[in-house]
Amino acid sequence: MLGYLVLSGITTGALYALVALGVVIVFKATGTVNFAHGDLFMIGGFLAFTFHVLMGLPYLVALALAVAAGFGIGILTDRIAFRPLMRANLVSLVLATVGFSFILKGIARSVWGGKADLFAFPPLISPDPIFLGPLIIIPQQLVAIGGAALVMGAFAAFFRLTRIGKMMQATADNPKAATLVGIRTDRVYMYAFGVGAAVAASAAVLMAPLTLLYPDIGFVLFIKGFAAAVLGGLSSLPGAVVGGLVVGVVEALAGGYINSSFLEVSAFVVIMVVLVLRPTGLFGATAVRRV
Amino acid sequence: MLAVAHLNVWYGVTEILRDVSFDVPDGRIVALLGGNGSGKTTILNTLTGLVKPRAGSVLLAGEECAGLRADQIVRKGMVQVPQGREVFQSMSVVENLEMGAATRRDRAELRAGIEDMMGLFPTLARKSRQRAGSLSGGEQQMLAIARALMARPRCLLMDEPSAGLSPVVVDTMIDAILALHRRGLTILLVEQNVGVAAAAADSAHVLQNGEIAFSGPAASLLDNPEVLRSYLGR
Ligand SMILES: Nc1ncnc2c1ncn2[C@@H]1O[C@H](COP(=O)(O)OP(=O)(O)O)[C@@H](O)[C@H]1O
Ligand SMILES: [Mg+2]
Repeated sequence: MLGYLVLSGITTGALYALVALGVVIVFKATGTVNFAHGDLFMIGGFLAFTFHVLMGLPYLVALALAVAAGFGIGILTDRIAFRPLMRANLVSLVLATVGFSFILKGIARSVWGGKADLFAFPPLISPDPIFLGPLIIIPQQLVAIGGAALVMGAFAAFFRLTRIGKMMQATADNPKAATLVGIRTDRVYMYAFGVGAAVAASAAVLMAPLTLLYPDIGFVLFIKGFAAAVLGGLSSLPGAVVGGLVVGVVEALAGGYINSSFLEVSAFVVIMVVLVLRPTGLFGATAVRRV
Repeated sequence: MLAVAHLNVWYGVTEILRDVSFDVPDGRIVALLGGNGSGKTTILNTLTGLVKPRAGSVLLAGEECAGLRADQIVRKGMVQVPQGREVFQSMSVVENLEMGAATRRDRAELRAGIEDMMGLFPTLARKSRQRAGSLSGGEQQMLAIARALMARPRCLLMDEPSAGLSPVVVDTMIDAILALHRRGLTILLVEQNVGVAAAAADSAHVLQNGEIAFSGPAASLLDNPEVLRSYLGR
């Protein structure tokens, strides 16, 4: 029981970590929390569903297309909900992302189905569980964990090694100095939204075969990813990964040992406990004051 | 090289710069002095595109820069070393230099530029992998200058490079500025420290309440009790 709960906690936690990475990269670059981030995840999942299940494209092709489309929709988020308000106050910015979240949800409902519709995504590999001593492993979980690890590796390499990745880091570090050396910070913000959404889409495609998709899944995932990001300090990328794993495991254990209804609220509990006991998160250097 | 004419800048309802005009001739060092809040930083920010002027022109080698975006001005060859250094604290010395070349694409040129800066500032060479935030104030100032040079400017604008540095480090700073001068760089040097301005610059302008109140050879600053007393409060 414990082994199974921890493993499934790590699986969902790895995917929460990917969602959290997107929240963190946008926050680091722009100082704003993108409340539409979960809906970018949801749209990514539905696009993959369309490409893979409805159109019959191979899983990896569907993944690539969904990630590319996610990048595009992220850039659209910047154009619609962020850039026009960049100089406005934080409340307007946050409300704009909330509004954009409703728009994405509305689009998903009208294209793919209503509030109560659930969509099943076929498993990639044999759904038969593997019994490893007392441990029961669903192979798709290993695919999700491995996939999440690959995406995280690519993400880290992007920041450390690429020119645009370093420009994003420089802009997050000191926007004024970044402008003075000739970095176009407005473009950096756009790429931050794009890359964040692309990572969220990859998480959705990895998660879809394990759960069901529905148009309202975005908010649920946003809260998990946000809890993970807050736990990690909101501006630390390694913090987001650790935060995601912690939220996933805590949630699985709470659901298994206490009551399954704790599964849904445990992320809120994590957010509140962190904000009260350690407002800078586990890895954060600065307090979470702008949210 | 640089010709600033009739510059007029407002922040909201406050007029900050009033009809500011001055030239920085090719290859010269011109100092811009003035007390706190007189508008020195605002001039540099206007020249480099952070602040848009309401009126006036900024000609760099005959090309209009007023109203252009910051990155366009960097590409034209005018770069600011900001007040308070503003290095990328979380990034290494080398990464800071790489970011200085953000507007340039050539990889070989980037490597050559980094080599060049390591030669010019040996302290930075010894600490090339260190985080910029861990450097001393003087080292951060050198890094901020080196980062600006990575864009290969024709005209360098420095905002109070000697502020907060010990006298020994200030002397090193003056040497570095003179070394850049010998390389043919045109420099606009904003200072509160009249000594530094007199030691490094050819000519000087004194700013008071957003207007140029005195212009003359830099050497005359220290001999002119009137300037010292009325414009710099010494
Ligand atoms: N962002 C701003 N908004 C409004 N007023 C400003 C701003 N920045 C500077 N000022 C004002 O403009 C004047 C000139 O400031 P500044 O150019 O920084 O002077 P200096 O660099 O000579 O000390 C000061 O009165 C200052 O209060
Ligand atoms: Mg100043």
